Amino acid sequence: MATGDTLGVFTPYQNEPPATIYATLDTRNAHPCLDFDGSADEEAVFTSILPRHYGGGGLTVYLHVGFTSATTGSAFWQVGIERMDDGTLDLDADSIAAFQGAAGNPNATNGVMTLVTVTFTAGAQMDSLAVGEMFRLKVRRDADGTAGTDDVTTDAELFGIEIKET
Amino acid sequence: MLTLPQRLAARQAYGSVLSERSTPFNLTKPQLDAAIAAIDDWIEANAVSFNAALPLPARTTLTAAQKAELFYLVAQKRYGG
Repeated sequence: MATGDTLGVFTPYQNEPPATIYATLDTRNAHPCLDFDGSADEEAVFTSILPRHYGGGGLTVYLHVGFTSATTGSAFWQVGIERMDDGTLDLDADSIAAFQGAAGNPNATNGVMTLVTVTFTAGAQMDSLAVGEMFRLKVRRDADGTAGTDDVTTDAELFGIEIKET
Repeated sequence: MLTLPQRLAARQAYGSVLSERSTPFNLTKPQLDAAIAAIDDWIEANAVSFNAALPLPARTTLTAAQKAELFYLVAQKRYGG
């Protein structure tokens, strides 16, 4: 049983940026972060292996985010998982499962982070990822508001990610 | 008049400038879009009188782009930024 266990942590330097619409590496007071544009969708990608203590439950992804200029409004974040199962997945094509999303509101004090929580039920939402398998996690700021309200004009910053078994 | 994609590009460009400077900014996208539209509409409505206000030979010698550049520079000097 691994409910509540941390299954992985990602920091900005672990980003494997896609060829286009990638979030940009930056720093804020020497803290590495990934800048996500305020108008156009941008993405970041991280690779890992689901640890052996994973117990088969759903996943909760915590995004630790900040905002360069905004102290009000709402940004919309999406996270998708790609199962990279041996013997099946063709690495030459992307197969990220459907994004799950959540809103994140800027803190009233600029420079204070916000925690965005994105949940996945076990099974299809997490691309049926199983223990010991490699996977990619794609994070997108839905800046054009396709899937949810994102009215923050300026950049959002991603400082860290935790994956927890729900 | 700017097209809708041009107005959106203006919003994106301004958002990038503000982000680069870490300038506090809390207008939402719809509010900033409305401001950009109003400015564009004002320019459309006042372009002729602006041109007429320019003395010769500037009025007939400068290109439209040069006049716009001068307008931008003068406004920036007046109001900072």
